[in-house]
Amino acid sequence: MSKQHKLTNATFRMGRRQFLSGLASSGLIFSGVHHAFGQARVPVTGGEAAPLPIAIPNFVAGSPADAEVGVGVTQVITNNLKRSGLFAPIDQAAYIERISNIDTAPQFQNWKTISAQALVTGRMTRQGDGRLKAEFRLWDVNTAQQLAGQQYFTSPEYWRRIAHIISDQIYERLTGEKGYFDSRVVFVDETGSKERRVKRLALMDQDGANVRYLTRGSDLVLTPRFSPSTQEITYMEFGQGDPRVYLYNIETGQREIVGNFPGMSFAPRFSPDGQRVIMSLQQGGNSNLFVMDLRSKSTTRLTDTPAIDTSPSYAPDGTRLCFESDRGGKPQIYVMPATGGPAQRISFGDASYSTPVWSPRGDYIAFTRQGGGQFSIGIMKPDGSGERILTSGFHNEGPTFAPNGRVLMFFRDPGGNGGPSLFTVDISGRNEQRVPTPGFASDPAWSPLLS
Amino acid sequence: MKVKVDKTLVASVALHVLVIGWGLVSFSSRAIDQIPEESLPVDIISADQLAKVTAGMKSGKKENPKPLVEKVAEAKPVDDAVGKITEKPPVITETAPPPQPKVEEKPVEKKPDPPKPVAESKPKEEPKPIEKKPDPPKVDSIAEALKKEEKKTPPKPQVQAAKPPEPAKPKTERTFDQSKIAALLDKRDPSRQAVVGETLNSNAALGLPKGKSADNSATWGAMFKDQVLRCWKKPYGGIEAQRVEAEFSIKLKKDGTLEGMPAAQTAPGGAFQRVFQESGLRAIIECAPYRLPPAFFDEWKDFNPVFDSRDL
Repeated sequence: MSKQHKLTNATFRMGRRQFLSGLASSGLIFSGVHHAFGQARVPVTGGEAAPLPIAIPNFVAGSPADAEVGVGVTQVITNNLKRSGLFAPIDQAAYIERISNIDTAPQFQNWKTISAQALVTGRMTRQGDGRLKAEFRLWDVNTAQQLAGQQYFTSPEYWRRIAHIISDQIYERLTGEKGYFDSRVVFVDETGSKERRVKRLALMDQDGANVRYLTRGSDLVLTPRFSPSTQEITYMEFGQGDPRVYLYNIETGQREIVGNFPGMSFAPRFSPDGQRVIMSLQQGGNSNLFVMDLRSKSTTRLTDTPAIDTSPSYAPDGTRLCFESDRGGKPQIYVMPATGGPAQRISFGDASYSTPVWSPRGDYIAFTRQGGGQFSIGIMKPDGSGERILTSGFHNEGPTFAPNGRVLMFFRDPGGNGGPSLFTVDISGRNEQRVPTPGFASDPAWSPLLS
Repeated sequence: MKVKVDKTLVASVALHVLVIGWGLVSFSSRAIDQIPEESLPVDIISADQLAKVTAGMKSGKKENPKPLVEKVAEAKPVDDAVGKITEKPPVITETAPPPQPKVEEKPVEKKPDPPKPVAESKPKEEPKPIEKKPDPPKVDSIAEALKKEEKKTPPKPQVQAAKPPEPAKPKTERTFDQSKIAALLDKRDPSRQAVVGETLNSNAALGLPKGKSADNSATWGAMFKDQVLRCWKKPYGGIEAQRVEAEFSIKLKKDGTLEGMPAAQTAPGGAFQRVFQESGLRAIIECAPYRLPPAFFDEWKDFNPVFDSRDL
């Protein structure tokens, strides 16, 4: 009897325990479901893409003598970021906090107050050995975290270059894309009256600083192009006889004629590896594409048509090239294998298309489009789709890509008694900016990144 | 006569003035007391959508406040993810892809009709008649339909049966045969998903204002979005940026300030994804505190904003 009682008691206890555990698990279930329901996903879509507000206080001077260079570096960085259109540097007059030591974290609340989302602090210090030390830190104001930090050593005269390199670091960290500030542009500088225009080959930093003239201007120069090594330029010059393609070494100032061909050679461009130059050679009324190996000097014919084939440009991987040809009646853009072979037309329409340039990113081909009495700069994909016009007007020509493929530079002639000048535009068509040059300028070509 | 008229007129006017005057005084005092509710964004929704939001049914009774539940929801979120993946794919494939081929094929069958020049699908003519036959046997109750959902094999015939009605429409415009009205009827078996919930409840209900879930996120969510957009400096992703999403889990206090650092729910893949995610994080922090309707605090005290790179 007692045994039986014990047994029932045991089963009862078991039951209650089960019941309790059941309760507990159901409670868990309930809280889990509630959790899932409670964390509603709230979509945040739309929103205009907007430049990032960034504060760049003057770089701190490591020694009293470095104050000037600190201010200079800050101005170059501010100018670079502002011109990119992706950043909105905040006026220094609005700053609440004065940065005096970059090794301690700034008071982020002070920067939050002026709506800065990023903050750059830095210091320039002259070293004992005469070199200049540049340090910078990039801060995220809202999360109070350091996003990037670097230090560089350089000779004092290269402080602008340091500023460009720091700009690239900031740009890359905050946009997710490679920068393009540490680069140069070669262009044709034009001076004098319209009838007696003097054209000189000139080289400058991407922001228009450090202009250097490479030729004296006695002979007409056209279509300069950078080598991937950035130490060499190829261009076309009208000398005593026919126009010829030249190679020019920036460091040594030495120049040589590329190949010795009868007739005119023009529209040169380097291959992506810098070992070959592709160009047009005139043969009677026609011209065809040839490529010359710079070391072996061997020349290969790529096209053989009774038409004018010119303006070749390699894809960044070197497997294909785009060029302009009037074999269809009007100048249009064609793509063909880099070794020659059948060409595929990619531009269509009433207008004529010329000066194709393949983006270093490989995703687009930029061109000049002439039609309806206007010259336009545009881009299209290598298969001819997605054409979009970025700017048009009386005369726009000669697009060239920034090293990151994100920005185009071209020249614009407003007509009348003026002359051409250089402009940059984002490949989305936004943020058109004039590039400061000493005089009139045309035919720009952007170098690859220097570092 | 005159005196009589005057008396009633005076009495009438006096009474009106009294009543209206009293009404003005008494009503106006109440209006002042009213506390203005916070404004809410309003969307016009259909009766179906309302029924879904409130989890109610027309046939429900007021005495049954709890929503109808026919099936207990699966318990653990983790299990859900695994379980749902196996359940859902069959449903999707059965309903979505088959209808497209059938619409094209139908016109072909009725070649006698001159206006239909769609001849591309000719080779498929033969299989079609065979598929149509299953129609008549399908006359099922809701209960049977529910069973079919669990066994995944039967649904296929259902979908096929559903297709005939669509092609029939062009025909009726030309020759309307009353005796064939039956052919125009939608013979699809009524099919639907079981209503799931935490506990079983077999009574149809009119529903609750909130229904079973926090579906009011549409209202306060829009308010949150408007506020956070003011601080969001969406990065430019080139002209053909890949679509990127960044989800955060955030906890808010009653005053709308952040209880802690928002936690990213998505792992940054590429460089642009990381930049995009950081831009969202900055925006959430910079725009706090948020002004959201206190009535829904239970819902917005803990939620997941999802930043999307699409331009809408």
